[in-house]
Amino acid sequence: MTIRPGRPTTRGTARLSRRRFVAAAGTGTALGTLGLGGCANTGPEGSTTTIRFYEQKQEVIAYFDKLLRRFEKRRPGVRVDHDDTVIIAPQFVRDAPADVGCFNNNLELARYIERGVLSDLSDRPASKHIRKSIATLAERYATYPGRTSVLPYSLAAAGVIYNKRIFAKHQLPVPTTWSELLDVCKELQAAKVTPIYATNKDTWTIWQGLFDYCAGGLVDTASFYARLQEQGTDVGPHSPVSFQKNFATAMERARTLTRFYNRDAATRSYSDGNLAFGKGQAAMYLQGPWALTQIAAVDPHLELGTFPLPVTDRARDRKARVNIDLALWIPTGARHPDLAAELVDFLMQPEIIDAYNRDNLAYGVTEDAPAATDPRLSGLQPYVDSSAFYLGAGTFVPNSIPLGNYLQSAVATGDFEAMLKRLDSDWRRFAIRSSATSH
Amino acid sequence: MTATLPTSDPGTRRRPPRTSAVRVRRRGTDAPNRPVTVILVVASLAVLVPLYVTVAMALKSPSQAAQGNAFAPPWPIDLHNFASAWRLTHFPTSFAISVAVSAGTVLGTLVLSSLAAYAIARNWDRRLFRWSFFYLLGAMFLPFPVVALPQIKLTALLSIDNPVGVTLLHIVFQLSFSVLLYSAYLRSVPAELEESARMDGASTGQIFWRIIMPLLGPMNATVGIFAFLASWNDYMLPSLITADPGLQTLPVVQSIFQSQFGTNYNIAFASYLMAMAPTVVVYLFSQRWVISGVTQGAVKQ
Repeated sequence: MTIRPGRPTTRGTARLSRRRFVAAAGTGTALGTLGLGGCANTGPEGSTTTIRFYEQKQEVIAYFDKLLRRFEKRRPGVRVDHDDTVIIAPQFVRDAPADVGCFNNNLELARYIERGVLSDLSDRPASKHIRKSIATLAERYATYPGRTSVLPYSLAAAGVIYNKRIFAKHQLPVPTTWSELLDVCKELQAAKVTPIYATNKDTWTIWQGLFDYCAGGLVDTASFYARLQEQGTDVGPHSPVSFQKNFATAMERARTLTRFYNRDAATRSYSDGNLAFGKGQAAMYLQGPWALTQIAAVDPHLELGTFPLPVTDRARDRKARVNIDLALWIPTGARHPDLAAELVDFLMQPEIIDAYNRDNLAYGVTEDAPAATDPRLSGLQPYVDSSAFYLGAGTFVPNSIPLGNYLQSAVATGDFEAMLKRLDSDWRRFAIRSSATSH
Repeated sequence: MTATLPTSDPGTRRRPPRTSAVRVRRRGTDAPNRPVTVILVVASLAVLVPLYVTVAMALKSPSQAAQGNAFAPPWPIDLHNFASAWRLTHFPTSFAISVAVSAGTVLGTLVLSSLAAYAIARNWDRRLFRWSFFYLLGAMFLPFPVVALPQIKLTALLSIDNPVGVTLLHIVFQLSFSVLLYSAYLRSVPAELEESARMDGASTGQIFWRIIMPLLGPMNATVGIFAFLASWNDYMLPSLITADPGLQTLPVVQSIFQSQFGTNYNIAFASYLMAMAPTVVVYLFSQRWVISGVTQGAVKQ
């Protein structure tokens, strides 16, 4: 046993957690009741190596548990514990990172990439099979020189979820341009159907939907933020790039869209939205594939489709908002880097990664990944295939700038210019602070 | 309930027993206070309505829960939620850990805080003790998130990044408030009691355990209940300090039911109900002490 009491983690089998629990419990109080029954282990003590797999996305914890059991079966003598702690920081703070991590590729993970605590994965065979455009996406938030710090595992593409029955009933086409979209909205409104259901009480839904879609359709988000970063602390109405300048048209469009919202949008939460949309109370919903399972809980037979929000009058400008929902990484501080690499190779096997993305309403990231066949997802597959996608503009904004709250008040007052001005000044302050700490 | 109400009034308890005629008259004068009754009924709804929703949700099937009408009665009743919650939270393990952590916290807080408060209250004229009191009080202004990262590092270095460390930290974080309560109460205990014991040859330790501790009875209940609730309901500290997710307390394990992108209401509420049960039971049995303890702390004699 390589287990040190009080250190490693467990979520695998009940038998295991009980054993570990007793081992680590110096507490002694009230623990006697649990007993040590059923502790008989397969194989003699000392021949089992335990590695830790960190994955905390709630919806797929059980799914990954099953995969880990399959890996254990294929690789006797190795046991994998599933660490599902919500917060990622503690394991790095206490110098005991998991052997393999699986996390959303976002600004938070970027901090770990940037500081070089994730090892280079370019020598893993699977890294050659990641689609080039998706591998580039993974480097947008942060990179570490000379390293492929993460391997994309699953891609989420978001657009406008629409109710096919309502569209068919009013004989409406899927809009391909901005003016078509407005026509569809107006016709729905004339027919007393709520065109777009918005849930502004949960502020993340505003930036994820309205803000990201409108901005992504008009602004090349990744290069905008790259230029903004280069520009340093000089951000304002007269600087070469700024929110006020580059996002003005996009936010004008966003303001127009809010006219077609449900009347009670300001007080509706995300779960209210899923419920209302599941009941067919609106035609369109600016949400990603994560909402589909929640809507299906209300009405599993509702016919839904997805299309990218058209923001320009050229149909070929349409793009989908994507994010790398899960990416694999091996910390430099992993206790068992060789076994970690084996686990990564196992998870990256085509039959496993493809099955994962199929079963969890996501899109493949490898060259030979099959297309999404679920009718609710297939609408965005062409855009994923042709790399007509962008990372959400809101995902580049650090938590210290409360973008969602600014948007909430902009939607309420209709004053998006003030919000952009605010974003510029906040970004300037943020740039001043981060330049002060990096010197 | 009507029978227990008059006795829970500390005023009536101390008085000699009255004749039944007097009691009837007393009740007669109390009865017409209708506005207060109405206000209390409305106020009790603030507790009863959420409780009803919790129970109703816990008994619904997933499709009923997804209907979004929280007040709809659960029919047909679905008991599977409790089984799923039991399985998903590894209920016996996490429950035992929660109980162990809370019990340890209550015990540690009672002993440590009362000792500290006794030392401070009886040496108030010495600067060291007075300032140590202010030092302890100062900790009340330090929220846990401020010291979270150093605490994670520290517990890992000492190999107590497990429920033991959580218990220790709970005791320490409970210290300032408990010392405040105890020392306020101890000042109302006459020093003459101790002097007579000392005349009879009792040591300081004996005085504390034989005389002071029994006198602290009602305050022990108050401090214990605060410590229990703080420890039982805590999410943040155990979630950060405990390294092994298999050793997490109930509130942390229950977070699996809720994420930004979806909530499993029926199973979540079944699980919350199971976690709530011990607190409610403890309160049912100890409510008399709770009420008396709260009033004891409120009045300085």
